[in-house]
Amino acid sequence: MTMPSSADAHHPQTTTNDPLRSYPKFLWWGLGESTNGGLGFYVWMIVLTAISLVGANAWANQVAQGMIVTNMTDHVSWGLYIANFTFCVGLAAGGVMMVIPAYLYDDEEMHRVVIVGEAVAIAAIVMATLSVVVDLGRPDRFWHLVPIIGRVNWPVSMLTWDVIVLNGYLIINLHIVGYLLYMRYLGRKPNPSWYVPFVFLSIVWAISIHTVTAFLYCGLGGRPFWNTALLAPRFLASAFVSGPAFIILVMRILRITTGRETAPGPARTLIQIIRVAMTINLVMLASELFTLFYTGSSHGASAEYLYFGSHGHTGLVPWIWTAVVCNLVGTGLFFMPEALERGTIRIAACVLCIVGIWIEKGMGLIIPGFIPSTLHEIVEYSPSLVEWKVTAGIWAFGFLLLTVLLKLIVAVFTGEESRAKPQPP
Amino acid sequence: MIDSGPKSKLVPCPEPGKTGVRRQFPRAPRGYLATGILFIALGGLGAAFSRSAPDRSAVPLTPLSRPAGRLASQPGQPLGVQAAAQPRADNAAAPDVPARFPLVIRKPSGPPRITTGLHGLNGDPVTAACSTCHATRPPNLENRTGGDLDEFHTGLTIAHGNVSCLACHNSGDYDTLKLADGRRVEFAEVMTLCGQCHGPQMEAYEHGAHGGMTGYWDRRRGPLSKNNCIDCHPPHAPQFPKMRPTFKPRDRFLAPPRTEH
Amino acid sequence: MTVDDTPSPDASQGDSNGHQLPIVNQPATRRTALKAVGAALGLAAFGKAVSPLWSIPEHVSVDEFLQQHYQELTPSDKDRIFARLESETKEEFGVDVTISDPRPLPGVRFGYAINLSKCNGNGACMEACSKENNHHRGIDQSYIRVLEMSKGSMDMEHGTTTFDHTVPQDGKFYMPVQCQQCEKPPCVSACPVEATWQEDDGIVVVDYNWCIGCRYCEAACPYHARRFNWEPPEIPADEINPDQGYLSNRIRPQGTMEKCHFCLHRTREGRAPACLEACPTGARVFGDLNDPESDINWVLENKRVFVLKEELGTQPNFFYFFDS
Repeated sequence: MTMPSSADAHHPQTTTNDPLRSYPKFLWWGLGESTNGGLGFYVWMIVLTAISLVGANAWANQVAQGMIVTNMTDHVSWGLYIANFTFCVGLAAGGVMMVIPAYLYDDEEMHRVVIVGEAVAIAAIVMATLSVVVDLGRPDRFWHLVPIIGRVNWPVSMLTWDVIVLNGYLIINLHIVGYLLYMRYLGRKPNPSWYVPFVFLSIVWAISIHTVTAFLYCGLGGRPFWNTALLAPRFLASAFVSGPAFIILVMRILRITTGRETAPGPARTLIQIIRVAMTINLVMLASELFTLFYTGSSHGASAEYLYFGSHGHTGLVPWIWTAVVCNLVGTGLFFMPEALERGTIRIAACVLCIVGIWIEKGMGLIIPGFIPSTLHEIVEYSPSLVEWKVTAGIWAFGFLLLTVLLKLIVAVFTGEESRAKPQPP
Repeated sequence: MIDSGPKSKLVPCPEPGKTGVRRQFPRAPRGYLATGILFIALGGLGAAFSRSAPDRSAVPLTPLSRPAGRLASQPGQPLGVQAAAQPRADNAAAPDVPARFPLVIRKPSGPPRITTGLHGLNGDPVTAACSTCHATRPPNLENRTGGDLDEFHTGLTIAHGNVSCLACHNSGDYDTLKLADGRRVEFAEVMTLCGQCHGPQMEAYEHGAHGGMTGYWDRRRGPLSKNNCIDCHPPHAPQFPKMRPTFKPRDRFLAPPRTEH
Repeated sequence: MTVDDTPSPDASQGDSNGHQLPIVNQPATRRTALKAVGAALGLAAFGKAVSPLWSIPEHVSVDEFLQQHYQELTPSDKDRIFARLESETKEEFGVDVTISDPRPLPGVRFGYAINLSKCNGNGACMEACSKENNHHRGIDQSYIRVLEMSKGSMDMEHGTTTFDHTVPQDGKFYMPVQCQQCEKPPCVSACPVEATWQEDDGIVVVDYNWCIGCRYCEAACPYHARRFNWEPPEIPADEINPDQGYLSNRIRPQGTMEKCHFCLHRTREGRAPACLEACPTGARVFGDLNDPESDINWVLENKRVFVLKEELGTQPNFFYFFDS
C-alpha cells in the first residue's frame, strides 16, 4: 500500500531508531491499524474487495480475449477507461486546493486536515494509472514504457509526459504523507526541510498533471473538438471543483465514522474555492460552446452531436444534459448560504457537481472527440458491461486504498493524542 | 501480377540533390518546440517566451506549390511533350541511364473477326474477317449508328460522339483502321487512333496517370504491363461501365454491437 | 503541524491503542488470525479472478516478451525472430510463409496520387488491400475507406462510406482515403514508445511486436488511417498471402496497431502497390517523388493536386486531383 519513497530512508536521525528498521515496522503497524474496525468497516471492505475482484476478472478476460469485449471501435478508439482516467487525474489535482490554503496562506485549520487531501490525491492517481493500464491492448509490453529498459518517446509524445508527471505526483504525495505520518508515529516533530519543499513542489506538480493531461487531447490537430487552448484551463477549473467536493464528502464520512469533531473552517474554504472555480468553469464552457455553435463550422459537428444529436444519432445527448443539469443545480446549491453549513444541501451540491464533472470531462469530452470520426463518419459508443465492471473495480480499489490510508491517518493522529494527553499535568 | 523477372543492379537515384522536388525539413521540430514550451510553461515563464511557439505560417512551401517550383527549375522543357508510349528501352542506350525492363502494353491480337452463326465440324463457331463481306459492299460514309444499317451490325450500340463508322474504319481495307489523315493503322495499334482525339487522356496514359497497370513502378527492377484503351473502353460505346461494389469492410459499427454473455 | 485537540473515545478503533507506541508488537489475537485468513482468502480470490491471464504465456513466448525494438535488432536477431514468426504462423494457420525485411531503396521517396475524376468507388482497392495484407477476414478489414462525396463540396460531413448501390451515381464523386504517409506524421509524435516511425522513403511503419496498444496514434491521426486489432485475426489458410514483410503485411498480433505501409514488401522491390494493380479505373498513380521522370511527379507538375486537411500541416505524400 503505502510505499516509502527512497528519501524516507535517509532522514537525519537524532534518536537511536534506525529508520531502515523502524519504517517497515511503522508500515506493519499501520497495516494492522488500518485493518481494524467494526462490523460496518469490514462489510465495507469486503464489498469493495468483491467489486475490485469482479473488475480484475473482467480485465483479465479482456486481456485474454482481446479488446473486442469492449465496445470501442476504430472510430471511437478511446472510451470509458480514458474518460474515467481524465476525471481521476482531475480529482488528484483537486487535492492541491487544500494544500494551497494550508501552506501558502498558513490556514491553521486547513493545515490540520490537509493530509486528507493528499490521501485522496494518492488514491486518485492510482485510479488514473490503473485506468490507463486497462486501456492498453498489450499490458504485457508495459515495460516498453519504462525508461532505460524500454524506449520512451520523450519529450515529443505527450503520453510519456503524462506517465512521468503522474508517477512523479504519486511519489511526491507518498513521500509527504508517509513522512508526516511516520514522524508523528515516532512522536517526533516533522522536520520542515524534509517535507515543505515537496509540498510546494506538489502544488506546481498538481497543476502540471492536469495541464499535461489536457495537452494530451488538445495537441491533436485532427480532433477539432479537443483542439482548443481552453481545454487545459477548463480541466483545471473543473478539477478544482470535483477535487474539493470529493474531499468535503470524505471529511463528512470521516467525521461520522470516527466521531471526531473537526473545525468547520476548512470545508467553508473549500466551498468558497468551489464557488469561484465552478463559475470560471461554466464561463469557459459557455464561451467554448458559443464559438462552436455560433461559428457553425464543421468544427462544431462534435458539439452538435453531443448536445443535440446528429443525423439521427443521439447516444450522448442524455449524458451531457444530465451533466448540464447536475452542474447548474450543483452550482446553484453551492451559492446558497446554507452550503456553508453542514447539511444536506452541501452534500447534494457536492454529489451533483462530482457527477456533472465526471460526465462533462469523460463521456462528454473524450467520446465526442471521436464522433464524428476524422472522416466524418458517425459511429456511436456506449460502454460494454466489461468496461463498466473494470471501471467499477478501479473505483472500488481506489476507495479501498483511500480507506486504508484514512484509517492509518486516524490511527496515527489518535495515537499521538493519547500520548500527548498525560503529559500536560 | 507479374512475378519478378531478372533484377537489375540497384542503382541509386542520380543526382538526388538536383531533383529539388522535396523540401527538406529537420525532423519533428514542432514536437521539440512544443515540449520546450511545456518546460517553460511549467516553470511559470510561459508568457515571456511565448513567441517561440511554432508558427505554422512559417512553413516555407505548401505541397500545392510544388509543381510550380518544379517547372520553374526546368524552364526549357516544353509542357506536355514527352516520349511516346513505346517502351523506353532506348534509354538503355544512354550510358548514364540504367537499363530498363520493358513497358508492355496489352494489344488486340489482330483484326476482329465476326461470328457467322455457323459451326464447323468440330462444333467451333465459324468466324469471318471483315473484308470477307466488306470487299463486296460499297462504303456508306453517312452511317453513324446501328440503326442506319439494314443488315449486319444492326444491334450494335454506338455511343461514341457523332462520328461516322468510317471515321475510324478503313473503307479501303476493312481489316485495318484509318487515321484522320487517311493513313491506315493496324487494329493492334488502335491506341494511335484513339490518341488522335483523346490527347489529354493519351498524355496522361503515357505518364501512368490513366489506365490500369500491373507490375513494377520501377522499371529498373521489372517490367510494367499496361492496359490498352479498348480493354476498358469498348470502342463503340467507350464510357466506362457502371459497377457494383462487391467488397465493403465490415467494421464493428456495421455489425450489431456485441453484448456481454 | 498541530494535531486536532478534540479527541473523542473511539470504539471503532478496536484494539488499537497508543500506549504501546512506538513499540509495535501486535498481539497474536483472534482478530489478527482472522485478518490473516481474510488476506489469504483475498489473495486466493484475486488469483482466481485474474486466472484468464494465464493464457498469455500460450500466445506470447519468452522470446517475444523480451524482444527488443526493431531498430535495435541485429541481422542475426532478425533471422531468429523471423524464423520464430514463420514457425508460429505455420503452427497457428498451417501455412508456410516467408517473412522478409525489405529496407527503403536509397534515394527513393514514395508518393501516391488518386485521380478523383477516374475513381468510381467500386472498392476493388479495398478488397485487394484486404487480401494482400492478410487482414482479419472476420470484419473484412482494409486500410482503405472509400467515401462517396457530393459534387460541389469537399466536406466529408456530407460523405458516406456505407453506400451500397451501383457506382458511380450521378452527382457524386468517390474519394478513397488511406494512410497519407505524412511528412510530419502526428501519429509518430503521439506514440509513447516509438513503436511507429517514418522510414527514409517516407513510409510510416509500425513494429507490431513493440506497440503497447494504447491507441494514442489512432486518436492523433486526422485521416482515420490506423486500425487496431481488437481480436486475433482470422484468415482462411488458403487466403493467406505467404509473401510477408516484418513491418508490413505479416499477420498482426492481437492488441496492436496497424496501418497502410504502401505495400512496402512490394514497393521496395519495385513492384506497384496491390491497390494500384487492382484499380480497374486506373485512378491511382504511384512512384518516386525524387525521380523527376516519375509518373507521380508528372501528376504533381501537370495536374492541380491537393492534399486532405492541408490546414493541419501534416504535409501528406498522398495527393488527389481531378481531370480538368
